[in-house]
Amino acid sequence: MSTVDTTAELRAARDSSRARSYMERQGRWKSVAGLAPIVVWQIVFFVVPLALLAVYSFWRLVNYRVDYTFTLYNYLDIFSNRLLLDALLLSLQVAVVVTIVCAILAYPIAYFIAKKAGRWRTLLLILVIVPFWTSFILRAYAWKLLLGERGFINSGLTILGALDEPISYLLYSPVATSIGLIYAFLPFYILPLYTSIDKVQDSWLAAAQDLGATPMRAFFEVTFPLCVPGLVVGAVFTFIFAVGDYVIPQLLGGGKSLLIAQAIVLEFETSQNWPGGAALSMVLLVIILAILAATLRWIRMEDVV
Amino acid sequence: MASVTALPDRTLAAARPAGSGRVFGLAYVSLVYAFFYIPIVVIILFAFSGRSIPALPLEHFTTRWFHEALDDRQLVASLWSSTWIALLTAVMATAIGMPAAMVLAWRPFRGKAIIFGLILSPIIIPQMVVGISLLLLFRYSPQLLGTIGIVIAHTTLTLCFSVMIFYSRLLGFRRSLIEAAMDLGASEPRVFFEVILPLTTPAILAVMLLTFTESFGEFIVAWFVAGFEETLPIAIWTSLRFGLSPKINAIATLIMIVSITLSAFAQFWILRQTRGKPAQPRP
Repeated sequence: MSTVDTTAELRAARDSSRARSYMERQGRWKSVAGLAPIVVWQIVFFVVPLALLAVYSFWRLVNYRVDYTFTLYNYLDIFSNRLLLDALLLSLQVAVVVTIVCAILAYPIAYFIAKKAGRWRTLLLILVIVPFWTSFILRAYAWKLLLGERGFINSGLTILGALDEPISYLLYSPVATSIGLIYAFLPFYILPLYTSIDKVQDSWLAAAQDLGATPMRAFFEVTFPLCVPGLVVGAVFTFIFAVGDYVIPQLLGGGKSLLIAQAIVLEFETSQNWPGGAALSMVLLVIILAILAATLRWIRMEDVV
Repeated sequence: MASVTALPDRTLAAARPAGSGRVFGLAYVSLVYAFFYIPIVVIILFAFSGRSIPALPLEHFTTRWFHEALDDRQLVASLWSSTWIALLTAVMATAIGMPAAMVLAWRPFRGKAIIFGLILSPIIIPQMVVGISLLLLFRYSPQLLGTIGIVIAHTTLTLCFSVMIFYSRLLGFRRSLIEAAMDLGASEPRVFFEVILPLTTPAILAVMLLTFTESFGEFIVAWFVAGFEETLPIAIWTSLRFGLSPKINAIATLIMIVSITLSAFAQFWILRQTRGKPAQPRP
């Protein structure tokens, strides 16, 4: 995430001296003026709130009031409270499954769009992303309609005679949550994969085959290794989004087996235990940051946005 | 030996596209696209079905649910407040993001990576956590909860798109045009208003469309900082607690048609401008 698109910047830097002098005449204070609003904004409304969250996590709720003395109580509580620990583990498990399934589903699609789609390429790319600009909550609602006991799939199969009675476990289970999450985050896997497959030149494959490689071998020794950055970036983001999501587990997973996000909301909304909720959020953040730190060398900015 | 086997291999590869692999590939791709669009189609189908619960079998075609949804004062009020919030967010994200992107794309300075990190890091923080931490901040100024709070939250969430879309557009900006304008004696403000601004209009429109759409449909962060304000996604969430109703399908159909149209236009623009990939929404 730290590497800036250097080639384009070099090109920009080589740009004519006249234009550059225009930029320079803008002066240093102008670039400060351009950046100041966003820097101040991000610090006040993003960095400071997160710092507050961290501070809260070291306070403690005693008799429904916040006790402002430093304590590790909330963190110790998470790792001794069966319910919270289970929620954390189930979240990680669901996120891993969702990430793997997304990788398997996304690769052929990304490959098809990049290499086989021809003039349909732009259209197919846009069709991948457009449904996902519709409200997240509506997409979750749609799966509720599909998976419910009287939902589209159950009643459809019953009408067709394939089922005698509806399958009750389709909705309100970790399986339903996983389906919803796969649906929601598959595009985030397809796009970085597409970018990395797109960079593999056909001539490289032709060269490999000229040197005697079978198409299969050319794929596994040329195309696939070059896709590793895309695979890693897709996995990291799918995992991060899946592990922290609230709407889908709440709507599709029901309340029986909680995920971490649901546990956080319960602490904040129901128990009014803000320090406890803050500590849970911090644990989630630490997990995410650890994953990012471990994979940072594969992540370039152009793959992120 | 290798060079002998290479020839038939490549002719085989060239012949393959017409074969079963291609059919299999097409079938797979169609299935995944069906997976993407079936949920949307199902929402729309039930919006027109006469039954009072969204379930199969579909009954006679009706537009009753659309009338009921638009007669529901609370629902319509939330629709308007979402629209205002999204408009304000789009303006804020553009006004703050564009100058920053101009500096980032055009001026070399030290510590650029840190600034990028600061701008992009909201992407990796779960939205729920962004919402909660803003709630903690607004505790110290509760009067911000509500419309203003939601606009602040949504601006924070969308600034990263705004900056990145502008940044990639401005990197590819032909600065010989600026040079030409200056050779012809244009002043700096004139260069901005008569060269830079017209050439970045498509990017500005794309950013505004995308940030509008993102803010309009965003639920979880808004939910935390809303106070007593009710946006459309919050209204939908609340009504889902009382069971499913085709009214939701009707309003959902209207929103989806608008947001899919807007974002499709924006994406085509972005692709044409950057020859890259489309901008991704946040989950």
